[in-house]
Amino acid sequence: MTSPNNENEPAERIIELRLPSRLGYEKVAMDTASSLARRMGFGGDRVEALRTAIAEAVTNAIEHGNEHDADMRVLVMLTARPDELVVSVADQGRKQLDQQKTTPTPKIEDSFTKRDKGGWGIWLIRELMDEVEFTTAPSGGNQVRMVIHLER
Amino acid sequence: MELSFPSELGYEKIAREAVAAFAHRLGCDRERVEDLKTALSEACINAIEHGNRDTPGLRVDVSCIGAGDRLEVEVHDRGLKRYESSGTVASIDLKLRGLAPRRGMGLMMIAQLADEAGFTESADGGNHFRLVVYFRKL
Repeated sequence: MTSPNNENEPAERIIELRLPSRLGYEKVAMDTASSLARRMGFGGDRVEALRTAIAEAVTNAIEHGNEHDADMRVLVMLTARPDELVVSVADQGRKQLDQQKTTPTPKIEDSFTKRDKGGWGIWLIRELMDEVEFTTAPSGGNQVRMVIHLER
Repeated sequence: MELSFPSELGYEKIAREAVAAFAHRLGCDRERVEDLKTALSEACINAIEHGNRDTPGLRVDVSCIGAGDRLEVEVHDRGLKRYESSGTVASIDLKLRGLAPRRGMGLMMIAQLADEAGFTESADGGNHFRLVVYFRKL
């Protein structure tokens, strides 16, 4: 046991999910997280915000980080704490995320004129979640850690 | 897809949502997904309560492999209590009338819902339960 805790008490209540890098599987992460969030007591709007943020994070991991390689996995970890839910999404980092792109300020006017309508995912995640942090996963891939607080 | 969670009752409900979404993505029809959810919940409860004896620090591992028109799911626990077949299985009627032990009802239900189900050989000392569901054509 690496954990100092007795095995009768989990160090943390963590659900781990490993998904193939194929579009559509983000739905599995969304449904799993919303099932957990509802049971923790999150309201409908917050659950929807969480679903959207996870959809963006997992889609980024599939499309960019793992470049659609179905053999590469996206690791989603859901940690349920008494007052918050922590969601971590990591890819295997075939393509590294440019750190300058982790704090975007996209303009809606540009989307009307430019062919590339992308660039809204990370902005959306920051708008929807209470804490957001982009790091490198232990595996070397890109990792985003998102926290949503439970307001009672 | 792989999924793991702590051995606490309630997590089977989250596992069944994950596996249902996976099956749906593969094209499994709605009714069959409902059968799968019920069967998987029972298998996870067995792993939590019996295989891992409700020890939260021990984990239940679920793996799902979709191939063609079928989905194969395996549920692994740490085997604190190993499954032992009791030989002849009493009918559900006898169980309900209290004339036979009630244990084993979950497994009977899984057998009714899944196309294939049963414990498989495991080298690591844990219980390995496997169930297969074929996607019914609409």
